[in-house]
Amino acid sequence: MNAVIQTILIGIVIGALYGLVGLGFGLIMGVMKFVNIAHGSFIIIGGYIAYWVFTLWGVDPFLSIPAVMFVMFFMGLILYRLVLSPLLKYPRAEMRIDKSLLVTFGVTWILDNVVTMLWTSDTRSIVTAYTGTTFNVFGARLGLTGLIGLVIAVLVAVALQLLLTRTYFGKHVRAATEDSGAASLSGVNVQRTYLISCGIAAAMAGVAGVVIVSCYSIAPSMGLSWLLTAMVVIVLAGEGNIAYMLPAGLILGLIQAISTLFISCAYQQPISLIIFILVLMFKPNGLFARGR
Amino acid sequence: MAHWKKLSILTLILALLAIVPLVMELGSNVMNVMVTLFIYIILAQSWNLIGGYTGQVNLGIVAFFGISAMVTHFLWKAGAPIYLAIPTGSLSSVVLAALIGLPTLRLRGMYFAVGTLALAQAAQTIVANIFTRSVSMPGSFSATYSLMPRYYLGLIMVVIAITVVYVITRTKIGLAMVAIRDDEQAAQVTGVRVFKYKVIAFLISGILAGLAGGLYAYVRLSFWQISIVFSPSWTFDALLAVVIGGAGTLAGPVIGSVFLVVISEIFANTLGQAHLILFGLLFILVVIYFPYGLIGSVDRIHQLITRVRK
Repeated sequence: MNAVIQTILIGIVIGALYGLVGLGFGLIMGVMKFVNIAHGSFIIIGGYIAYWVFTLWGVDPFLSIPAVMFVMFFMGLILYRLVLSPLLKYPRAEMRIDKSLLVTFGVTWILDNVVTMLWTSDTRSIVTAYTGTTFNVFGARLGLTGLIGLVIAVLVAVALQLLLTRTYFGKHVRAATEDSGAASLSGVNVQRTYLISCGIAAAMAGVAGVVIVSCYSIAPSMGLSWLLTAMVVIVLAGEGNIAYMLPAGLILGLIQAISTLFISCAYQQPISLIIFILVLMFKPNGLFARGR
Repeated sequence: MAHWKKLSILTLILALLAIVPLVMELGSNVMNVMVTLFIYIILAQSWNLIGGYTGQVNLGIVAFFGISAMVTHFLWKAGAPIYLAIPTGSLSSVVLAALIGLPTLRLRGMYFAVGTLALAQAAQTIVANIFTRSVSMPGSFSATYSLMPRYYLGLIMVVIAITVVYVITRTKIGLAMVAIRDDEQAAQVTGVRVFKYKVIAFLISGILAGLAGGLYAYVRLSFWQISIVFSPSWTFDALLAVVIGGAGTLAGPVIGSVFLVVISEIFANTLGQAHLILFGLLFILVVIYFPYGLIGSVDRIHQLITRVRK
């Protein structure tokens, strides 16, 4: 029984992180119809920034989140200006998706190699004074870092939801998502909206990276597997359903955690691939789609 | 007349490639580069078929390359002759392609790309978990190792791959593929069975990638970690070769592969890992600003010149 509760706890903690990883990716996907393969590399870079800030100046990783978000926000702006905005010349969404897949695959390639050159391909993680601290929850153990990660993921998800539904900027984003042409005609600066959305998505990747480096570990080659997690979350939640990203992430985390009770945890990635294909085959609009 | 000209040039190149290694000693360095070039060309043509002609972005072509390389390696080690091991390896790629293609090719947009990318990653993880130690062929194989048969097998495979792509693109299948790429909806409305032709293109692409993998297993006898045959860099190289050369053309992937191999020979020693970054930059620039690759750009310049003359 204890093992089961423990597994569920692990599933919830990592599931919230999956939701966080999916959010940034889903934002770009939903708003601009661009697939950002480089999202995983952004996560890794965010993690490395926190790692070095901690190692060089001893700043607590969770306190460095605002700084990481700031830096990553600008990286997002650069990505949009240099790589994504030239693709807006393609009018059809399918063309945009194909081209952005190719281009951001190239970006991933560059970033991964740069990261490997700068910081070697070693696996790194942050060990703070409280890393080993755990709480007792119904006889199972919950790590403090994991709990903080969970709280941060929920906070970010709620903040994004509020931003999208309660502010003018959010209105612009939703308008540009529905019909960028009409939005532009009614006075929304679509380019600027896209630009800032891209920055926010990158900043959220940075937050995810900080959580990952302090709860788990990072290496330059891990970008792709986090990206795939993001993809699976998107498929589970349904394209463009930002509000359902976190629940979808939790479901994925729980499925993966429970599967480790039966088979080796080394096979988590194949399991998410199987989930991905099953969902695509039977519920192609996501688990939460209603009557579409 | 132009057709004859092209054909005679091709025959000349082929004859040169076939005869030169027989009459003069090229040295193992050049031969190695040539064999690598052959692998790139086959893999690039495979990507070209599904990505260039059919317009389905496959980000996990290495899965088909890798599975075939592994199957070939282990069959060959088990005593099967190489001319049986490589086709069996390709067959395994086709089975894998069917498994991943049937569910994902039904859907539009990014799911196919994501599915293939996920497949490649999962394959790498599984293989890395199963084979933790290095694998290699028995010592007797490396004692009698010679690049000559590998060179000629590679050359034959390149000819096969190019012929396959040429023949397919000249048939109804090729027409359907291009129609799907240009406008899937329009193709469907005019009666093209989109899903069927996508699957056909994907399976044939799988066979070709499998051939490349088999050749790689034949060339390389030992692997420190066999999971490197699933490394995403193979996918990137194939993509780069096709995109630089010109996607959706017969000669594009060949030119792109030659370009890639020559450039990496020049820069790999002087720049080290930085040359990979250079490739990434080049790739992005070409995708954004030269969507038709080297071939398309040459054609366009040609058009400009003829227009000026008139």
